[in-house]
Amino acid sequence: MSDSSKAIRRQAAAAGKPRLGAIWLIYFREMRDQLRDRRTLFTIAVLPIMLYPLVGMLLLQIAQFTRQNPTSVCIVGVENIEGAPPLFDGETFAPELIEQPESLELLTYRWDELSGDQSIHDKGNEWVKTGAFDLVVLIPPEFKDNELPSDLIGTSSGEDAKQKQPNIELLFNVGSDQSVVARQRVAGVLGAWRGEWIKERLSGVGIDPEVLLPFQWSDRDIAPERTREAAFWSKLLPFIMLVWAMTGAFYPAIDLVAGEKERGTLETLLCSPALRSEIVWGKLGAVATFSMLTALLNAGSMLLTSSLVFQHIDVGGASNMLGAPPLVPMLWLFVALLPLSCLFSALALAVAAMARSSKEGQYYLMPLMMVTLPLVMLPMLPGTTLNIGTSLIPVTGMFLLVRALVEGQYSTAMIYVPMVLTVTGTCLWLAARWARRQFEDEAVLFGGGDQWELGMWVKHLWRDRQTAATPAQAYACGAIILVTLFFARLTISEMPQDFTGIVKLVVMPQVLILFPALIMATMFTTSIRQSLRIRIPHWTTLPLAILFGITLHPTYVMLSKLINHLYPISEQAAVAMKPFAEQIASAPWIGVVLLMALLPAVCEELAFRGFVFGGLVREKGKLRAVVLTAVMFGISHGVLQQSIAASMMGIVLGWITLRTGSILPCILIHFTNNALSVSLERIATSDWQGASIFLTQTELGPSYQPFWSLISLGIAVTCLLYFGTVSPETDESESELIGSHHDYVDPTTSLASA
Amino acid sequence: MIHVQHLTKTYEDLQRGRFVAVDGISFTVKKGEIFGLLGPNGAGKTTVLRMLSTVLEPTDGIATVAGYDVVRDSAEVRRHIGFVSNNTAIYDRMTAWEMVEYFGRLHGMRSGSLKTRLEALFDQLRMNDFRDVPGSKMSTGMKQKVSIARAMIHDPPVLVFDEATLGLDVLVARNLLSVIRSLREAGKCLIFSTHIMSEVERLCDRIAIMYRGKILDSGSLEELRERHREDDFEELFFGLLSQHEQELRESRRESHLPDDHELVGEPVA
Repeated sequence: MSDSSKAIRRQAAAAGKPRLGAIWLIYFREMRDQLRDRRTLFTIAVLPIMLYPLVGMLLLQIAQFTRQNPTSVCIVGVENIEGAPPLFDGETFAPELIEQPESLELLTYRWDELSGDQSIHDKGNEWVKTGAFDLVVLIPPEFKDNELPSDLIGTSSGEDAKQKQPNIELLFNVGSDQSVVARQRVAGVLGAWRGEWIKERLSGVGIDPEVLLPFQWSDRDIAPERTREAAFWSKLLPFIMLVWAMTGAFYPAIDLVAGEKERGTLETLLCSPALRSEIVWGKLGAVATFSMLTALLNAGSMLLTSSLVFQHIDVGGASNMLGAPPLVPMLWLFVALLPLSCLFSALALAVAAMARSSKEGQYYLMPLMMVTLPLVMLPMLPGTTLNIGTSLIPVTGMFLLVRALVEGQYSTAMIYVPMVLTVTGTCLWLAARWARRQFEDEAVLFGGGDQWELGMWVKHLWRDRQTAATPAQAYACGAIILVTLFFARLTISEMPQDFTGIVKLVVMPQVLILFPALIMATMFTTSIRQSLRIRIPHWTTLPLAILFGITLHPTYVMLSKLINHLYPISEQAAVAMKPFAEQIASAPWIGVVLLMALLPAVCEELAFRGFVFGGLVREKGKLRAVVLTAVMFGISHGVLQQSIAASMMGIVLGWITLRTGSILPCILIHFTNNALSVSLERIATSDWQGASIFLTQTELGPSYQPFWSLISLGIAVTCLLYFGTVSPETDESESELIGSHHDYVDPTTSLASA
Repeated sequence: MIHVQHLTKTYEDLQRGRFVAVDGISFTVKKGEIFGLLGPNGAGKTTVLRMLSTVLEPTDGIATVAGYDVVRDSAEVRRHIGFVSNNTAIYDRMTAWEMVEYFGRLHGMRSGSLKTRLEALFDQLRMNDFRDVPGSKMSTGMKQKVSIARAMIHDPPVLVFDEATLGLDVLVARNLLSVIRSLREAGKCLIFSTHIMSEVERLCDRIAIMYRGKILDSGSLEELRERHREDDFEELFFGLLSQHEQELRESRRESHLPDDHELVGEPVA
């Protein structure tokens, strides 16, 4: 359809603002519909109410069971202990050596009782392996000779004395938790026992053992009881809630979109005067309500059950940690639940819209779960705390913020509130927009009845080749580049020590960047030149590009310095980079410029501003194409500091290529910029007199004169403004906006009709 | 009431590439007229009707319903149209009454007038027996009645029936046809798609024969008979179709195009 009618349609859609009444009507119907569904009711209401009491009951049973089953330890060679402080007290270890001695069940053997045809070690191994005992302690006969040496000071034959020291062996199995715990506890007992023994010996020779201790220490947990419990629950409960919020969103979303499609009711709804946006908001509200209800019921039921259960049981030493949850701080959870439920609901709705039936919907939601679950799991990892980095991760940031609030760290939490709110808000907005787009896309709502087949798909790619890449191909190309780069970087283990090594190191990623783009341009498009956007731009843009590259460089250098200041490079990385820089400095200049400036400029521009941008720009939103390309371009640099600088540079380059319709100016700018970066040192130290006008030497290397930085920025901005006036008349793939994927088969025909 | 001018819809399809489902069709339906869209399965009838009901957006061409453009004033078009689809599209967990009421309220009807309208419709279509039966328990006939009541709740001037008799037994189908006739008496503009020729012969004032996205011929039954000198309507229909096939084959031979898109529609070369 022609552009004008599209614009009219857009206007009409903007004029038709969603009405609250209609949204409420749809919401109310969906809610009633879901509440009449037995399966939904079971998942959101019956299951949580029944589940946790049942789990609690089970826990009580297990608690009893574990108390009846203490860890079993076998001690062989008890008779070999002579002249030592008491290790045992009847059947158990001496109570002064261990808390709760009854939790270890001891069985003692004499050494000679077991010495048969099989060696005692083998027997011990066997027992631990089969699980007959969790731990076998071997006290060998040599232990008897454990006497205080006459030569206490150890002036003579000190080494002999060391060698003779008897050895107690603990046989355990790291694969069994109980065995590991037993080893830890017995090692503690032995340590305490040895301490007692040392004390005894010291007092035997007339030394007060207390005198020998340079210091004492004592543990004191200053966290109030409430915080300690909150710490535990603030980790577990958000996790439970978020997982249930996800589950609670999925099933209604499938039923309300995919299910309606399957029954054909969606079509009748779309024929009604309700706007698509009203339908989406109504459905989204219903899904979010169910998501929240599920999470709340689960969390509530769990809190209630656990507070009852923990009053009754006392699980080993864990009782200090597992108190009943404090109720009031948990209210913070509900504050976080609202946006996250809405986020999950919007995502689930958008994904479910792609499915044609409920069954298909369930297949689609699994990957969604796989993507969102790590975000929920991340805060569970030990050591993950709220900081700038984590607060910017969606879901995780909100999770950590809530945890801080629950633990009462209000001042810390307040600092990150704006960031978390911005990130969550943005995600929410994007997800809601996606869901809306899905409902406006008729290919999503009605399309795709046919079977997908690999052969057919390849045929389709070949048959429906276009002059430039489709957006999907552009995304695929970007993803392929980034993934191969990621794996290629993993293979680099050490920094090269000579120039050829550096050549390899630099060339490899460039080849990996260019290769997919070239292959895809050759195979999937009819014109390599058009798809890589190698076009002759207006002649003025070429010299201007070089000027722009030169004048932008001071700003770029300042930007990199600022970034390095904000996110300092680790010492380790700096040390690793040093030989690299030295090699570069000593290599021939031409070689360095070719390698570090020309090669990346050509390869990266062909791939990113060429193929990827050429595909993305055909989708809705040219600025989006600029930003997306810049982000991909940034990520491809691998190092965070470089990535940020490159992303910003990418935005400028993307805008210029959008205006000029060609990548040639971008190659020139990119080349000039890189060439200046690698040559700055040489220029500053050269004999050229003019260098000192622009450059100064600092202890950190050459840097631009402030006045020149300022002037050059002015010139660069002027150049940029000039680029803005250039019209991309040479670029038909850009002047032709390809809205939906029905239309991008052959843009030239629709262009002809327009 | 309905004006369609050069309406075109193309789809992207994995197997066939670009597929033209509706290829530049034009027709007009007046008030108090039943217009029949006759064609085999896959001729593009449903696509046309979906474009008229604004569910799909035309790729090219203009269509107006009750004076409103389906693209520009889509909301107004939806207010003036009632759509009965071939899959009766009933919510399983809603009763007949709730279902019709829901759509009435979506049309912005006030409770008082909605209730009187509902009572009248339920009487007219004899639906009072299963007022409170949920969708999952309804028979196909009941579902079809609810579907019609749903489409008529706001008393639209234009009604669209997309293969509405599909899967109905003779009794229910006859009943449906009589309802449609009574709607014509009431001065509605009706468009009715089917692949059953007898229905068209009995019901429609004017007919368009659709095949592979194109309208091969249109006019009243008498006009068509006269033009093609064929009294038997079935023969007329097949004659038109095979003639079109013949023309296609010839045009392909002339342009040396491979003949690999048989019977699936018009590929754009």
